Amino acid sequence: MDATTVIAVICSVVVFAGWLVLPHSATTVQPVAVSEERKPVAISA
Amino acid sequence: MKIDSGDTAWVLASAALVMLMTPALGFFYGGLVRRKNVLSTIMHSFFILCLISVQWVLWGYSLAFGPDKFHLIGGLEWVGLNNVGFTPNPDYAPTIPHQAFMVFQMMFAVITPALISGAFAERQRFKAFVLFSLLWATFVYDPIAHWVWGAGGWLHQLGALDFAGGTVVHISSGVSALVAALVLGRRIGFGKQKAEPHDATMTVLGAALLWFGWFGFNAGSALGAGALATSAFVVTNTATAMAALTWMTVSWWHKKQPSVIGAAAGAVAGLVAITPASGFVNVMGAIVIGFGAGVVCYLAIQLRERIHVDDALDVWAVHGIGGTWGALATGLFATVAINSAAANGFFYGNPKQVLIQLVAIGAAWGWSIAGTFVILKVVNLFVPLRVHEDEEILGLDLSQHGEPAYASINAN
Repeated sequence: MDATTVIAVICSVVVFAGWLVLPHSATTVQPVAVSEERKPVAISA
Repeated sequence: MKIDSGDTAWVLASAALVMLMTPALGFFYGGLVRRKNVLSTIMHSFFILCLISVQWVLWGYSLAFGPDKFHLIGGLEWVGLNNVGFTPNPDYAPTIPHQAFMVFQMMFAVITPALISGAFAERQRFKAFVLFSLLWATFVYDPIAHWVWGAGGWLHQLGALDFAGGTVVHISSGVSALVAALVLGRRIGFGKQKAEPHDATMTVLGAALLWFGWFGFNAGSALGAGALATSAFVVTNTATAMAALTWMTVSWWHKKQPSVIGAAAGAVAGLVAITPASGFVNVMGAIVIGFGAGVVCYLAIQLRERIHVDDALDVWAVHGIGGTWGALATGLFATVAINSAAANGFFYGNPKQVLIQLVAIGAAWGWSIAGTFVILKVVNLFVPLRVHEDEEILGLDLSQHGEPAYASINAN
């Protein structure tokens, strides 16, 4: 295994292993407030 | 010399792929700007496609690739494509018509000034942009292309390796973008109001089309349909994917969420970084180059934000720094096992190649900084570089082109 391959494997391990410790979600999802009900649209024939 | 139909077909198809990259860049940039500037941003790329297509056949190709003068510039013998016919030119591509090589190179000359437009987005006067682009292509791009790729160019003779344009295209445009951002100054409200991307989907689409076109950029630079083109294709895809994964991971760690635009920008950084190395490195080298691009370009953006430079779409960080990393990495990971006509890099027993790459990098940085600064100052003598304040607030789509991008939406 040459030096380039060793470095490439280390880089890949760093990225792939990094995902294990990253946060699942940054923010708590807030429910979106709906200001008003949608009104039915009048369609003329 | 006999024309090879397979090589010719591949180079012509590659020229078409590279042509697609310029409007793709327009979409990539267009999604990143505010709604009121999207059309003007796309126009920058579309207009340059037209402008440089004409400049290149008139004098650009002759300056870049014409008979050498003092190892610095091509002569005027090929102005108007005089002496550029269908017989192959053995100095550049012995198996395809000379005009096929010329049109392939034209598409590189087209996209390079278009890349710079991301730095001065949302504030440059269109007329100043027209003059700047024409002068920049002539006095910055064409000489650097001759130094690196022209028969007799001094960096070519020195042994600098740049397979598809890390130095010629990306360092030149990225460094010039930084100069342009500094000379034009910051946008109104920079640092106070957030200039959020108006359409991230457009940006991701643009990045995907850039990725597609880049196969022509890099694999086409083999100038033949064979093993070298195949290798360039594979390492291009590998480095791009690795850079996107790395950028996304770094931004996820830094900002606590995996950014979609970050993944797209990371892919572009990987494409940039593998460009000079694509005909010289193996797939393991491509993984390292992609990883490095994801980290280094992301850090460059943090630095750019910290020093409050308004390079609007981060051309310097992605192209200038990504191109510099790619050129340096070529000196580290190049191997004659991939390209017997080239040289080994540091990790294959030739540390001298790193020094040669550094000379090429320094020359491209220096000429780009000086040339861009002078050209901007000269243009400013005749046409103000920036739009008026009220035009900037209104948006360039209406103030410069008189057309809204989205007719039914008036918001910013």
